[in-house]
Amino acid sequence: MWKVTIKGILAHKFRIVLTSIAIVLGVSFMTGTLVLSDTISRTFDSLITNVNGGLSAQVRAKSAFKDEQGQEQRSRIDASLLDIVRKVPGVKDAEISVAGFAVIVGPNGKGLNAGGNGPPPLAFAWNPSSTLNPVHLVAGTAPAAADEIVIDKHSADTTHYRVGSRIRVVTVSSKGTSAIYRLSGIAKFGSADSPAGATLTFFRPDVAERLLASPGKVDSIQIAAEPGVAQNKLVADLRTALRGRSGIEVASGASVVQEQQNNFHDQFKFFTVFLLVFAIVALIVGSFVIYNTFSITVAQRTRENALLRAVGASRRQVTTSVFLEALTTGIVASVIGLGLGILAASGLKALLGVLNIDIPAGGTVVKAGTIRASLVVGILVTVLASLIPVFKAARVPPIAAMREVALERTSAGWKRIVAGALVTAIGVLSLLSGLFGGGSNAGSAVGFGAFIIFIGVTILGPLIARPAARLIGWPLPRLVGVTGQLARENAMRNPKRTSATAAALMIGVGLVGFVAIFASSATASINHVIDHAFRADYIVNTSGFGSTLPPQIESDLAKVPGVKIASGLKIGSMKVGSSVHQVEGIEPAVVDELFGIGVSQGKLTDLGSDGIAVYKNTAKSKHLVIGSTLAVQFAKTGIRHLTVRAIYNEQALAGPYVISLATYRANFDDLTDLLILVKAQPGQAEHVRAAVESVVKRYPQGKLQDAKQYKADQAKQFTQIVNLVYALLLMAIIIAVFGIAITLALSIFERTHEIGLLRAVGMSSAQVWGTVELESVIIALFGTLLGLVIAVFFGWALVQALKDQGIDQFAVPQIGLLIIVILGAVFGIVAAMYPGWRASRMNVLDAIATE
Amino acid sequence: MTTTTQPRTPPTNAGVAARAIDASKVYGEGEAEVRALDHISVDFASGQFTAIMGPSGSGKSTLLHCLAGLDRLTEGQVVLGDLDITALHEKQMTRVRRDRLGFIFQTFNLIPTLTALENITLPMALAGSDPDQQWLEHVIDIVGLRSRLKHRPSELSGGQQQRVAVARALASRPEIVFADEPTGNVDSKAGAEILNFMAQVVRDAGQTIVMVTHDPVAAAHAGRVVFLADGKIVDECSDPTADSVLDLMRKLGG
Repeated sequence: MWKVTIKGILAHKFRIVLTSIAIVLGVSFMTGTLVLSDTISRTFDSLITNVNGGLSAQVRAKSAFKDEQGQEQRSRIDASLLDIVRKVPGVKDAEISVAGFAVIVGPNGKGLNAGGNGPPPLAFAWNPSSTLNPVHLVAGTAPAAADEIVIDKHSADTTHYRVGSRIRVVTVSSKGTSAIYRLSGIAKFGSADSPAGATLTFFRPDVAERLLASPGKVDSIQIAAEPGVAQNKLVADLRTALRGRSGIEVASGASVVQEQQNNFHDQFKFFTVFLLVFAIVALIVGSFVIYNTFSITVAQRTRENALLRAVGASRRQVTTSVFLEALTTGIVASVIGLGLGILAASGLKALLGVLNIDIPAGGTVVKAGTIRASLVVGILVTVLASLIPVFKAARVPPIAAMREVALERTSAGWKRIVAGALVTAIGVLSLLSGLFGGGSNAGSAVGFGAFIIFIGVTILGPLIARPAARLIGWPLPRLVGVTGQLARENAMRNPKRTSATAAALMIGVGLVGFVAIFASSATASINHVIDHAFRADYIVNTSGFGSTLPPQIESDLAKVPGVKIASGLKIGSMKVGSSVHQVEGIEPAVVDELFGIGVSQGKLTDLGSDGIAVYKNTAKSKHLVIGSTLAVQFAKTGIRHLTVRAIYNEQALAGPYVISLATYRANFDDLTDLLILVKAQPGQAEHVRAAVESVVKRYPQGKLQDAKQYKADQAKQFTQIVNLVYALLLMAIIIAVFGIAITLALSIFERTHEIGLLRAVGMSSAQVWGTVELESVIIALFGTLLGLVIAVFFGWALVQALKDQGIDQFAVPQIGLLIIVILGAVFGIVAAMYPGWRASRMNVLDAIATE
Repeated sequence: MTTTTQPRTPPTNAGVAARAIDASKVYGEGEAEVRALDHISVDFASGQFTAIMGPSGSGKSTLLHCLAGLDRLTEGQVVLGDLDITALHEKQMTRVRRDRLGFIFQTFNLIPTLTALENITLPMALAGSDPDQQWLEHVIDIVGLRSRLKHRPSELSGGQQQRVAVARALASRPEIVFADEPTGNVDSKAGAEILNFMAQVVRDAGQTIVMVTHDPVAAAHAGRVVFLADGKIVDECSDPTADSVLDLMRKLGG
């Protein structure tokens, strides 16, 4: 039996290679993701180790809590502790550390890294200790005067700044200013010009304290030990020296490294999981292709298998034979996929280097676990997908050898309807329970539900494949005559095959369509809010993290003649009960003129310095009414008891909690603004624009927008994410296109006689090719339309689930979906290229003579 | 009855529909060389029903395929009417088959996804031309398929399927119909019907038919029989009967 199997495999090399591609692509995606994320992780691990290379201990405030991004929230400590620390025996160097953000403005007036989505514009106090300082000067000197700075070599190179250049730097902090500095030196970070593309600006320590924190306040004190002093001993001594200082803790250098690495891993996990989801989607699509290919080939080999049975092979032997073919395919595909994945990861790493995201040196990391996972998953997916066809092969009775090749029969309609409906219903339930039930497994429930829905629709597929193909192909006979008719009939003749082939495409298109619908709904929701609630004339917008606006801008703007109100929005984190929430600081007196939040009870002007406003649904779930007391915890000031003074309906602009600016200032260190809203005197809106613009220009991280531009900008941010998701789903779609090509190639092999006859009675080779193309287009459109139906359902369900999060408009992007349909047809055309060419090149006489 | 080893000029009342001139077809090379056709020259008169007979491997099917533009000669020429098809490109050859020739094969004559009527009009549909309705109706009546036009091949008996094939071959009024063992796969009653239809269109409408067969009964429906052996024309006769063909076969075999 082994011999038969091996011979079979060799005889079908081509088919096995083609089938393998479906799994190769999925596995390489998975391997690539794992290798890339391990490589990046290890790179950052060593980066963190290097940064803290000379650090033996750190004195800092205790962490209050982790914010929504997982960052520890610590308040600042007194710089005066330095004097105590320096007296502790074993301390060689002790220096203050202050970190923040500062944007270097290039000669062209543009800020480096001010965009927000890329690497950040970091700022630090220059550390005079060469043991503790992670960078070293390659030109000039350390900042000695208050207006001197050191920047990283990469920034210096891109701006052509040299030692002595006068540079505008905008510090992004509560005390932030836009001022001119003299470049005193240029530094490198180890062997890299800058760490992973971040820009670095170093101020004299006392200047950094003033600009990035506040005078006398620092983030931490960094300590290098005398040679031979163990970290544990030093930490113990420091703790003794600092005993009695509340809220202060001492951490060893090693534990700081460990913390930072863990912190990075926690945040980076999202990236890995995000990519793995798409790899899994690709593998699922691949499994559909495998299932379909094995089903067709088993059907085509019914006679061969029956003959084996007739000459005495047992059922088990036939099963084993087909199973071994699947196993071989799985192994070959997984090994190739593994290799390609490692190559792709190395390529991507090189690409990051080209894009100036300079990852410090370090090889590609291929862990044994990655190899094991990729091989196991690839082989398992192939074998599982081929199980049903394998058992079908075993059910072939010996007598089938004597019959004509059996045509596929669709199993009893009602059985299929019941099974398909049941499976789909389970999927829908799981999806909805995940969306609306919440809980810690919500994400898995949604993903599982979506997968099961796809399976359910695939089971139902054969029932609708015939009428659907008839409908989709309806115009063809009228448009292109008999080739169109033949294409339509061919797409209808094997409903199971058509449907399984289309199902692979359905998954990719379903997810793409879903993302498109969700993005358009989210954009529509934002636009809706802006149209209805936005009352300001202008908005000074930023890109978020690392590029917020110093409060200085707000007061500069308020001074512009004709401006009635300029008011910033500050957003921070606080802990309510056991969870961390966003809180927004506003100026109650003027907020109503800038945007409406739909206050339903109480008044914002009553907020004062101990009040809080709560979104209605949050209030409901926490049983809060006007006058209730809510205990919240701020990182800087600890637990505060605030009184609920207002309840509001619109949370899109305000989030779940709102406090007055007075309360915000009292409880947060970072007083930068995320946005500044500007309202002109009545009728002055157009008039003040130029003056407002000239103020904003001094701060390259800010951009002046009116409501329309702000809407466009929000939509654009969505577009970027959506495009990334499209790119990642492309792999699943490519696999599905391969699936269509494989099915067509196998179908054409089956129809050799038919094609020979058509050619004999006068069909041109172009017409043969055209028929295959049109059949492919029908199949692809069937998959695309199925996918879009599911996409609309997914989109609708998610929008229903996110109503409370501010996404309350369900908007189907008609043009977007139309483009998807057109692309679906194009995929069909591409898939049929090779099979169509083969069919058109078939030798007429051989085709007729084939028995 | 006349027998001769030389190709004869066809009857005087018609021109030549197809002609092979010094035609050779060689498969393989060197030791493995097989000469399927060996310098054959033969004419097929228009308006005549000609049968090509011969034992397996005699080259009769190869001759038909080459005459019909399905295969190419190694040497020599094929002329259909006034058109030399020997050097035509594949594209031109396809048009010739579509517009000027009709085909009936032993099996796999019909496209399973098309109805009987659609199969009959297939060559015209491929050309994008409209069938001659009157003639089409006539052909459908001759083969007696009027009640079966909407049926798919799988719903027809083997004999009915071959009748559809005959109708398809005749419907576009081709210059020549080539038939390769058209009755090889049906029972004798159905076979006789099919051969009668073919003979009838030759008689009534002056259709030219060239048919390959190994069945003397089938050959007896033809007006002329050409015998092939080892790639050469060895004999021929006019107005054959089953017995005369059998006699000739015995003579050639012995």
